[in-house]
Amino acid sequence: MVKQLKQYDVIVIGAGNGGLAAAATCAKAGLSTLLLERHNIPGGSASSFVRGRFEFEPSLHELSGIGTPEEPGMVEEMFNRLGAEVDWCKHESTFRLIVPAKEDDTDAFVNENGVRVSVDARMPVGFEAFSRKLDELVPGSYESAMKAFDLAEKMYKAFDALGDGDNMGGIFKALKYMPDVMRMVSHTLQEGLDALGMPKKAQDIFNTYWCYMGVPASKFDFCYYMAMLHGYIKNGTGIPKLRSHEMSLAIDKVIRDNGGDIWYNSEVTKIITKDGKPAGVVVNGSKEVYGKRFICNASPNFVWNDLFDKKDIPQKQLQMTNARDVAVSLTTVYLGMNRTKEELGITDYSVFIAPTSDSDKQYAACHDFFSGYCIINCLNEIIPDCTPKGTSQLFLTTMTFGDVMRDIRPQDYKKFKTKVAKDMIETCEKALNISIMPYIEEIEIALPPTFSRYLNTPHGTPYGYMLNMWDSMIPRTVQFIGDQPFENFLFCGASQERGDGYGCAYHTGEKAAKLTIKALKEGK
Amino acid sequence: MASPIKTLKAKKFLPMLKARQARFSAAPADLPAGTDSSRIIAKALHPRAQYLKVAAVTKRADDCCSYTLVPDPARGTTALAYFGAGKYLTVFETIGGMPVTRAYSISSSPKDALDGKYELTIKRVDGGLVSQYILDNWKEGTEVTVSAPAGNFEYQPLRDAETVVCLAGGSGITPFLSMANAIADGDEDFKMILLYGSRNKDSILFFDELDALTKKTDKVRVVHVLSDADAASALPGAEQGFLTAALIQKYAPKDKPYSVFLCGPQQMYAFLDKELEKLELERKYIRHEMFGEFHNPQTQDDYPSDVPATVQITVTIQDETKTVTGRSCDSVMQTLEKNGIAVPARCRSGECGFCHSHLLRGKVYVPKQLEYRRLADAQFGCIHPCCSFPLTDLVLQVPAAK
Repeated sequence: MVKQLKQYDVIVIGAGNGGLAAAATCAKAGLSTLLLERHNIPGGSASSFVRGRFEFEPSLHELSGIGTPEEPGMVEEMFNRLGAEVDWCKHESTFRLIVPAKEDDTDAFVNENGVRVSVDARMPVGFEAFSRKLDELVPGSYESAMKAFDLAEKMYKAFDALGDGDNMGGIFKALKYMPDVMRMVSHTLQEGLDALGMPKKAQDIFNTYWCYMGVPASKFDFCYYMAMLHGYIKNGTGIPKLRSHEMSLAIDKVIRDNGGDIWYNSEVTKIITKDGKPAGVVVNGSKEVYGKRFICNASPNFVWNDLFDKKDIPQKQLQMTNARDVAVSLTTVYLGMNRTKEELGITDYSVFIAPTSDSDKQYAACHDFFSGYCIINCLNEIIPDCTPKGTSQLFLTTMTFGDVMRDIRPQDYKKFKTKVAKDMIETCEKALNISIMPYIEEIEIALPPTFSRYLNTPHGTPYGYMLNMWDSMIPRTVQFIGDQPFENFLFCGASQERGDGYGCAYHTGEKAAKLTIKALKEGK
Repeated sequence: MASPIKTLKAKKFLPMLKARQARFSAAPADLPAGTDSSRIIAKALHPRAQYLKVAAVTKRADDCCSYTLVPDPARGTTALAYFGAGKYLTVFETIGGMPVTRAYSISSSPKDALDGKYELTIKRVDGGLVSQYILDNWKEGTEVTVSAPAGNFEYQPLRDAETVVCLAGGSGITPFLSMANAIADGDEDFKMILLYGSRNKDSILFFDELDALTKKTDKVRVVHVLSDADAASALPGAEQGFLTAALIQKYAPKDKPYSVFLCGPQQMYAFLDKELEKLELERKYIRHEMFGEFHNPQTQDDYPSDVPATVQITVTIQDETKTVTGRSCDSVMQTLEKNGIAVPARCRSGECGFCHSHLLRGKVYVPKQLEYRRLADAQFGCIHPCCSFPLTDLVLQVPAAK
């Protein structure tokens, strides 16, 4: 075999969304780039899998970063910048929230599905339309919703000021002139909506997307929720035509086309340090590769435990990791159905079914294995031909703290998975008054151990560390540089300042790449 | 009127930043927890490799042996990964300097894995390099390396009918034996009607074991289907002939849905797929074990003409590049292996995607029975080398075979 020995400008560890964006940005800037991935395909969460005649989307619900031709979203813009081509499918509605009624709810009514419910909110795209609909459901909420969206616009613009992390003074200066953003970041979502006078019942509907970040209203900072909501409500959302595997392969291609190397099935098993900072990596326990700078998409918990000698780890990194809360994890059931969505009676892409509309109560219930909180998605609503004729695909998601696995033995796991899936399917059948079980042609069930296997994060959480008030997005962004472990080693991905989400991970990867490019230019 | 947001204080922001760093400084500087209950389960069920030893060899027929495999602590495996009945292990071997892999269904009960035992049952395949090698070389004490249990050929109560008609041919009995044991052990719960095709009474594998299982549980019924002339007359209860739609109808429940599971040689699938069409079952009720290694692509209707007999394949794995010559009738994976290049492989049937690779130049033929690639793969030139046959010279990048 012909050996090509070289030292890379940058070694990127992990081809999740953050690592892909980082490697593509570096390669495109002309850096010699090596991307290392322990799995055989790119993407981490952004992937797909085939069972029988179905190809399932493993994680993506919707991308808030796909806008309109006049106002492209952040994800779309990044793909355009990189020259990565993806066929986007637009989604022109938001969510439907159904809270099945309890016996004693005297305000309950029977909805279009013939189910007695306390809440049935199908929310449209557009600030005005959304606010009107909210007002229809909870009279007196229009004005507060419009005010909230006005703040959302301000917050969304503040993202520009937060920039690429290379000018902290600039960020401070910019924030000074954004007092409302400062107010929002200092207060919780609940405090913010209370201040705007939004009725509690309307707040609960308004806060439905809390689970996309895994933080309930009493712990979520107001500004970040509003920034996120902006992305979903203003211009609608989008998803790739061929599952998120398409997005990951499109970026993979950009890296290759720009001379970058990608090694799959190539796990970093150790980081080699020299003079107290990273100098290279060991791949699959044997091959050494050297680099000037490093961008790491792997979870810090894993990195500190498995890749470094303890003496080489900056004390602050250990303290940070210990101080933070690992976020909630997921359970997902993927169903290939031998009926169309029309035959099944499914009318919405995304339905949130919850025993209570209160996000804090929903969050607290994640300590149970399954509390009745379940999101049901039907991909055919956005991509009608994503499955063969006469079929459809569904995925059901609930949030679960990984510690619910503590009493499950490996030999009980399969039965346990089936039980959880059964509960989730039955919950959806009941809440929508439809029949799912007889029409299942393919089923796959992913619990926290499944995500742990593929993501290598604590309990398989895709969310990184919880975006608590004290550790929320803007403080993380302002303190980004001081929080990084080494001058030549930056983290990216869900563990970083923006938490989870495809767009957030891409952003952190691109930002780490820009800082890396700049440092190399400056001869560092 | 001032906006109500002004009632919230902006001044809280700076102290928040200080408080955040103070919180970090106050935290312990120990290593964070290195594992958790989810990771423990994931690692227990999906070890990267399992290092085993042959503890016993049991002759099942002239050309077929069972191998009892136990952990080899000296090489780092102390316990076996538990599995769902129906799963397979991929065996890693090196034969004459050639790294090869083969997938074999586990024939033992899942419960046995908890007691540190797997059983693989291997029948000699005509011209089969690996089966031949194993039958000739594995003996008590042989070191064997296998993958984690893998595959999707399992009973799933939310999807499958309560009764499963299992169609087995030859050594295709192995996953069903595991399932029948799991039923008897209470680890699976379904009614199995096993129609097992063999040539004659003597060529039936696990005859006594199957007989014992039908006595242990009334959920397992076994019907031997013997193809040699008059063979059934020597065995009470056996059927004469082949597995057919008529035979399935004879034994399947009349009044409720049933699933059909198939495992056997490729010719059996080709024949039974046509037979099953007659039964007009919903597709969800028919499940095949993997196809197995595909040979002779040139016999397929959609195989193009004017394909050169030999091609050059240039392959890059990590930082090493090599060009080799291969035959167009061999899969890309076979050609690489024949040239001493290890390729990541599990199912060798196109299904698991473990060998997912990037084809940078050239064209390949993929038999439609084995087309399990993701939609975007075709668009971005990704292939599964185990079921891709070169039509031209190729340049490709393959993941490391770690």
